[in-house]
Amino acid sequence: MAINDQGYWYLASYPKSGNTWCRVFITELMRLSGEEEAEDELNLNRDVDTGAIASSRHWLNDQLGINTCDLSFAELDPLRGRAGETAWLFAEGERFHKVHDAFRSPDSKGRPVVSTAGCKGVVYFLRHPEDVAVSLSHFFSWDLARCVNFLLDPSAGLVPHENHGGHQVRQHMGRWGQHVLSWVEQTQVPSLVIRYEDMLAKGPETFMALARFLELSDEPELVNKALENTSIDRLKKLEDEAGGFDEKPEGCERFFRSGRTGEGAEQLSIEQRRRLFSVMEEVMKRFSYDGPADD
Amino acid sequence: MALVTPSANTYTAFGLAISSDLSLPELAVDLNPESVVDQVSITSSTKEDWPELNPSEHSTPTVQMTPNDWRLELEGIGWFRVHQGRSIYWQRWDDSVSDRDLRTFLVGSALGALMIQRGSLMLHATALVRDGKAVLLLGAPASGKSTLAWCLHQQGWRLLSSELTLIDRQGMVWPGMQQLKLWHAAAMELDLDWKQMPVVRKGLQRFSLMPTDLSTSNQPAPLAVIYGITRRGKEDDKDQEEEGLRILAWPVLRQQAALLQIRNQAFQPRFYRGMEQEQQLFLHAAALVRSVGLHRLQLPDDVKRMQIALKYANLLDPISLVPKQSEPESESLSKAEK
Repeated sequence: MAINDQGYWYLASYPKSGNTWCRVFITELMRLSGEEEAEDELNLNRDVDTGAIASSRHWLNDQLGINTCDLSFAELDPLRGRAGETAWLFAEGERFHKVHDAFRSPDSKGRPVVSTAGCKGVVYFLRHPEDVAVSLSHFFSWDLARCVNFLLDPSAGLVPHENHGGHQVRQHMGRWGQHVLSWVEQTQVPSLVIRYEDMLAKGPETFMALARFLELSDEPELVNKALENTSIDRLKKLEDEAGGFDEKPEGCERFFRSGRTGEGAEQLSIEQRRRLFSVMEEVMKRFSYDGPADD
Repeated sequence: MALVTPSANTYTAFGLAISSDLSLPELAVDLNPESVVDQVSITSSTKEDWPELNPSEHSTPTVQMTPNDWRLELEGIGWFRVHQGRSIYWQRWDDSVSDRDLRTFLVGSALGALMIQRGSLMLHATALVRDGKAVLLLGAPASGKSTLAWCLHQQGWRLLSSELTLIDRQGMVWPGMQQLKLWHAAAMELDLDWKQMPVVRKGLQRFSLMPTDLSTSNQPAPLAVIYGITRRGKEDDKDQEEEGLRILAWPVLRQQAALLQIRNQAFQPRFYRGMEQEQQLFLHAAALVRSVGLHRLQLPDDVKRMQIALKYANLLDPISLVPKQSEPESESLSKAEK
């Protein structure tokens, strides 16, 4: 099978680090470059379908041929890497799969929790953990202390409980720094690491690199237009027009909120910032993220 | 052809007499051999004896298919083979795998694959019977079919088939697997004594209600209504007064939309493609849409409210559940149709 002629990519990140912005950008760039049927304007809830999230139960049931509710998460994690290799056959155009899991989980027997066969690469998005804490707080309706604890929790995950079903399976993330390293240090698929801060401050060159990596149109005019059409102000307007973005959880007022950097330094206490930095200093420094001591 | 050995356990599901060397308490015991259409067997085997396959491009690393052969390799559980719509073979992964582990996938994926090989329409659905008529609750795994089914069962409905359901060309729904699986959270909400309930498999927080625990029906029944299940969001529920929390239904008027939903709720659509049965599925589903139609059934998110609301809802009469024209579909329902 000519998997490599088509291939697929992962858009991986800790939550609230620019992943959805990127998916909207990809959708818009494809729309502008004529790869998708063009309408006048992007519809957030209808059009942003770049591919199934790697933790989708529906996707895993299809790929594994079973009802995954009949397996525990610990049993499922080692199998998840077998899902996806052939999926491109039936979802051309939906080849950019969002992932919030760390590359491996404690239960995955050392294997990736995503398929790597036929995968053309992963874009890993990261954002200053202090700003992630503030964004998580709005998204989950948690207080900042809980968000800081979550970022530091080596067993943190999404959908961690096995007592009810759901459309997604557990996604082990671990501590923020562990999540970053799990993806940037893996060598099984080519990677492009993008900082959220660079998406904001150096938009044209960052998104141009992204478009090239994903083998999308890299015509500067189209990339810049797509970037302009997916600015945070524009996304807020589109969210308002759509009457809310389907991907926001219950209790969350809006998905696209502020988008700016530096909110963590303003809103977290010095103690909270010190905790984040003391535990994750090495990874933060590696990606030029300052802690409170550097202010 | 599979042989039915006298020493085997014999069960009935989907009109078949199933001879199995494993005990399968999820299925009805074969009480009425005269009504059986055909016989099939489930036997242990050695996978090294299974012939090599040249699998369809619809195969995945886990599921390998040709029109008459289906294989599932489930690491940590076992290997399964379904051949010519007549035989299911299995091999345990290792000695740590229990019979319960094996039969979970035998009566699910393997039996479903066997029925697809036989050209049947199998849907991801649970069917219940009342007054000799069947309703079909359509929904993906984890959509709440079993919770609703349990609530209906408590109100006098009898379980016909759970998780995967056979509808024949005459519109009859056949008895199938008769086990309800309830998540821990649902069992708590339903005030069930979950500590006394067996788990579906060791390590799962999912509990099992077997045919012996339930009021079941072992006769095919004519299909009266098909419901696609939707749950109202918690926020939608909060916004409404108590009396507004009732069971609502809307007919899916566009046949194309109804057909699409039924096709998408086929049991493992990839199996149909891999075993070259997709055209059959399409034709069969189209006939079903024309003869029975599809309704969307909207339920309160809260289980207790759903239990109360169900007392005032006659699911055999979907027209009685359709809101007046002035009532718009709720936001979550509109989203579900996209």
